[in-house]
Amino acid sequence: MNQRSFASAFRKNRLGLVGLAGVAIFLLVGLIAPIFVPYPKGYGTEIMVSPSLTHIFGTDGLGLDILSEIIWGARTSIYVSSIAVLLAFAIGVPAGLVSGYFRGVPGSIIDTLIDVFLTLPVLPLIIVIAAVVGSSITNVAVVIGLFSWPSLARVTRNATLRVTEMQFIEAARCLGIKQRVILFKHILIVIAGPILVNLTLIMATSVLSEAGLSFLGLGDPSTWSWGTIIKKAWDAGAIIDTPNPYWWWFTPSISIILYVVCFNLLGNAINDALNPKSRD
Amino acid sequence: MAEYIFRRLMKSLLTVFISIMLTFLIIRLMPADPVSLMVDPKLSPEVQEQMRKNFGLDKPIYTQFGIYLLNLLKGDLGYSFKTREPVITVLMQRLPWTILLMFTTLIMSLAIGLPVGITAAKRRNKLFDRVVNVLITLAISIFIPFISFAFLYLFGYRLGLLPTGGAYTPPPTQGFAYVLDVARHSVLPTITLFLGNSATVILYSRNSMIDVLKEDYIRTAFAKGWDDRYVTRKHALKNALIPTVTVTGLMIGSMMGGAIMTETIYAWPGVGRLIYDSVNAMDYPVLQGAFLMLSITVVAMNFITDLVVAKIDPRIRLSGGRA
Repeated sequence: MNQRSFASAFRKNRLGLVGLAGVAIFLLVGLIAPIFVPYPKGYGTEIMVSPSLTHIFGTDGLGLDILSEIIWGARTSIYVSSIAVLLAFAIGVPAGLVSGYFRGVPGSIIDTLIDVFLTLPVLPLIIVIAAVVGSSITNVAVVIGLFSWPSLARVTRNATLRVTEMQFIEAARCLGIKQRVILFKHILIVIAGPILVNLTLIMATSVLSEAGLSFLGLGDPSTWSWGTIIKKAWDAGAIIDTPNPYWWWFTPSISIILYVVCFNLLGNAINDALNPKSRD
Repeated sequence: MAEYIFRRLMKSLLTVFISIMLTFLIIRLMPADPVSLMVDPKLSPEVQEQMRKNFGLDKPIYTQFGIYLLNLLKGDLGYSFKTREPVITVLMQRLPWTILLMFTTLIMSLAIGLPVGITAAKRRNKLFDRVVNVLITLAISIFIPFISFAFLYLFGYRLGLLPTGGAYTPPPTQGFAYVLDVARHSVLPTITLFLGNSATVILYSRNSMIDVLKEDYIRTAFAKGWDDRYVTRKHALKNALIPTVTVTGLMIGSMMGGAIMTETIYAWPGVGRLIYDSVNAMDYPVLQGAFLMLSITVVAMNFITDLVVAKIDPRIRLSGGRA
């Protein structure tokens, strides 16, 4: 598919544009805003103040501004999901390419491994590992990344299987081009679309995993992440106790969901733009 | 069919073996002292020495793995740091609660998700389908603690309708009153997990139904003059079910992640809540055992869905070929 028709198909998808805008805003907030908003630490004077003009999202049990915590949390989310995506890419794409291109023993071994790791309950496994390696935000990100590759490998493998049948690959083989070049140049370029879609999904799910880990107390206590804010609210009994500072857990949860929705919408839109058939 | 089931069984066993290997390696490949992660540091030096011998920590790693496997076969998963009980006893007390939660959620997801997905497929691009699509995108993106908090806030705090935690009101009563009490406690956790997981069922049943409805044999059935409901039920449904059931099986693994958070928040006494408690107590033997137990549960439930697929897919039922 040529680039112009992809762009024009993408532009017609209104939800996709919303997703793209949302992703851009999150990236911008995460990367730039910490320059303008001071890092929330220590104690504030106004404890558990409901949302007002000075504290748009209210304050928490230590009197810290929740909006600043969320802004710094955005930075953590981007950091974690970027590392997870890079690792998943580094493991999943080669695994998928090799198992799709070389059928027979090496292919089926990798394929079985993909199957096994898709079946395993991954979050419990990540929890056990995170509990053993100790909680720093980089550790958490790496562990999430190490177990995000199976779905990407599966997508890559299926796409590779399809492309390997095509005549231009046969032609490339006849020309005596090295297999490494065929794999990582000829095939990879053609299947870049589905890989990209899966990467946006990993961006989304890795933040869900990170928030889950932080919520269970396996996050980095010295770094603000959305899951950490929610954990603090929960530990303080902000959900069912009186007084009831609902704003403490509501806005960070909404941030997580918005982040995930935006990346999912973006992924769906890329997918639709790449597959003209699904547009009818 | 026998060949298919045999292959699936082998895959299940392989998956269990790999999770055993992972739990074994997690502790032993860590830069920290593996002994302190396996032997309770609070025990006296003599007992610690004895346990080190039991685990074979002075022997090479493959011998250790052999010892580990043998112990597992005997049901020996070590002792909890916190309660000093055998890990297997702790887990067995918790497992039924988790299975109860997972099973109810699965049944609900299928019972509600399938009709919704199929109706959406039949009314493709109409209002119902569009609403379902938006809801699916939201449900896939949902953060489980958020729904739980929202439910607790609404039904527990504001309205005071449902209990906010636990699986029964202590002390547990007897007979029918007990069942009713547990049912009341399980409403919120089940709905929470259902909202997080039914989206997959709806999505796949919708998409596979759309694909099936495009097939020639459906057009032929309509051409014969059969009415819409008969064609849907007799011709389309079964074929649309196959990918949905397969995906439901695969979903169970990711459901466990949600189950940990759900159980934690509602103080549901299952394996998930146990994991949360063990994380905070740094009770590594229980953590390992819990992961292993969850893997085995997932693999077993997966194998059951494989059997269901074998039953409803004539390509597998009638031949030895692969599907």
